[in-house]
Amino acid sequence: MTDTEATMPADPQAYLDQVMAEIADEVRARRASGDLPPKLERELDELFLAHSPVAGRGGDLGEALRMVDAATFIDPVVPIESERAAGAVVKKGMRSLLLWYMGWVTHQMSQSAAAVSRALHIVDGRLQELERQLEVQRVPEAGVVEFPALHGPDAWWVEPAVATVATAHGRILHAACGDGWLVRRIVSAGGDAYGVDPRSHVVDRADLGPLDLRAEPVAEHLRAAAPAGLAAIVLSGTVDGMAGGERSQLLSAIGTRLAPGGMLVIHSVSRAAWDGADAPAGADLAPGRPLRPEAWCQLLEQGGYEATTARPGPTGSDFLVTAVRASIVTPYPPAER
Amino acid sequence: MTAAAGGPVAVHQFIPTLNPHDATGTHTLMLRDALRAAGWQSEIFAEAIHDDLAELAYKHWMYPEHAARGDVAIYQFTTSSAVAPYLAEHGMPLILDYHNFTGPEYFDGWEPLSVQRAARAADELALLAPQAVLGLAKSRFSEEELRGAGCRRTAVVPVLADYRRVTAAPDPRVAAELTCLRAGGGADILFVGRVVSSKAQHELVKALWAYRRLYDPRARLHLVGGTSSYEYNKALLGFVHDLGLTGAVHITGEVSDASLAAHFAAADVYLSLSAHEGFGVPLVEAMVAGVPVVTRGAGAVADTVADAALLLAAADPTYVAAALHRACTDDRLRAVLIASGRRRAAELSGDTVAASLVAAIAAVVGRP
Repeated sequence: MTDTEATMPADPQAYLDQVMAEIADEVRARRASGDLPPKLERELDELFLAHSPVAGRGGDLGEALRMVDAATFIDPVVPIESERAAGAVVKKGMRSLLLWYMGWVTHQMSQSAAAVSRALHIVDGRLQELERQLEVQRVPEAGVVEFPALHGPDAWWVEPAVATVATAHGRILHAACGDGWLVRRIVSAGGDAYGVDPRSHVVDRADLGPLDLRAEPVAEHLRAAAPAGLAAIVLSGTVDGMAGGERSQLLSAIGTRLAPGGMLVIHSVSRAAWDGADAPAGADLAPGRPLRPEAWCQLLEQGGYEATTARPGPTGSDFLVTAVRASIVTPYPPAER
Repeated sequence: MTAAAGGPVAVHQFIPTLNPHDATGTHTLMLRDALRAAGWQSEIFAEAIHDDLAELAYKHWMYPEHAARGDVAIYQFTTSSAVAPYLAEHGMPLILDYHNFTGPEYFDGWEPLSVQRAARAADELALLAPQAVLGLAKSRFSEEELRGAGCRRTAVVPVLADYRRVTAAPDPRVAAELTCLRAGGGADILFVGRVVSSKAQHELVKALWAYRRLYDPRARLHLVGGTSSYEYNKALLGFVHDLGLTGAVHITGEVSDASLAAHFAAADVYLSLSAHEGFGVPLVEAMVAGVPVVTRGAGAVADTVADAALLLAAADPTYVAAALHRACTDDRLRAVLIASGRRRAAELSGDTVAASLVAAIAAVVGRP
């Protein structure tokens, strides 16, 4: 028997699966120990984002214009410091010799850049005016709308949702996570879960411990997440009151961030519950209304999901939709912005 | 089109850009040799040709000077190119040799021109795929894309590549430098690929940061490859500086084959966290060089590495750091990854692949 034969397990894939499971255990232990707090991982993301071009930070025109303004002046007086003996003298001589020529050229370039900058400022001013006019017609973003009896650890759909995602190989996202009640359940069941919620006051109040909870809107979080970086996503209290465009953008972002074969779980209340007298005020204020289960199934199947199922709750007040991201669906999804 | 005796005399190749040191350039040159050995006439036509290969190919618009009745065209589809509409208009029997391309979403926010180019490539794939008599994909992942784009008949055959360059004599100067670094202790983590947002080198830097903090404070990361993205490269350098990793992250730029061999010889582990890979030739090169592979399973990577790598479901730093630690310190795992890597690399190596390619082409267009 050769050394290689002695080393190779009978079933290499099963051996590697076992190693990966042990690595997942190690990750859970590390996270629980606080060796690398979630806050530090987030700070890494933010630090890199700070170096990305303006478009990567949300396409702020004002910031872009400030960069244009800063770069408008082209200095023809080049630095002449040198590490070599007499280098500075030589450079100074060359600079003196060429300055009249370079000065003439750079003056025109600076003038040209300044003209472009002025034009961009005019465009910026007109855009701001347009935005002011459009503001009155703006559809507000949907907030988190939670029903006390349907959004909490005792809700009927929690067990099936946890069972669906807990075995996923990779990170599991819950939005809106609130104080982490579902994240905690998924982690207890063996999943590598974290949560996002736009309600910073709820997240800040939570007893985080080793939990990774982030105070940010789910769509914004997904735009910054790595493509195909999530193994499962659970949405609750998030999509019910979304208007069509916002929902479409969210699904587009999910489509690129959820890994092929990844699970999408959506909990939604029914329209009857949404319009009920005991519905929270957020239901009235939301720009949209919940979709019916059939509509969710159709929407997800058209969007490249398989094995779509809708499971009604016991009182008819809500339902749970589950779907699997197909391995290849729409390779070139529409832009998210 | 079905296989028939007395097939075409010539099977020519078309490619957007013929470069000497990239995966598709090598594939195209090796396929030309295989086609000629099988008895077909075969030339290469390209929109752009590297100076070093000027004697080996023609501009694509020069094809009419070489055209003959019954010619078959193989298009090496790698990106958007003027060659695509040219072939679509020409109407000759077309085989689409699909290398996959990085979708526009991976460049969003970084490279506006690349976004446009990738979107055009998607349009060109949709244009050519339904016309093709055969689609050759490098992985099942790419095959599904080809079918999705309307290609009716497909086959999966890996990239033709010359993996011997990574086991050639290493550059002695580079080898000495790397040995000097290793003398100070700490693992050497290697990634080979262009510095561009889709390759996600910043995720590698994050992983190194976590790995050094949790397991090995003296670990180093070697990023080998040129860049085609000024903005991303600049951001990466700034990120490395801010994290205080300037001495631990070695960004080499483009290197010679001998320098590449030295880097593979010195690496403890090969780590890829690319957001998208159409095949991933460097993954196979690592296997050939006997370096354990840890990789995110993005794009076609899972097809390429099969069961010969630690396949990560996510790129978050803690997870990657834990996998790196295991791959660097578990002797049995290292031995298994190295042995299974060499076996997988043999499955993907030259002669077998060339024969499969020729057989797939002959099955559709007939033998010469």
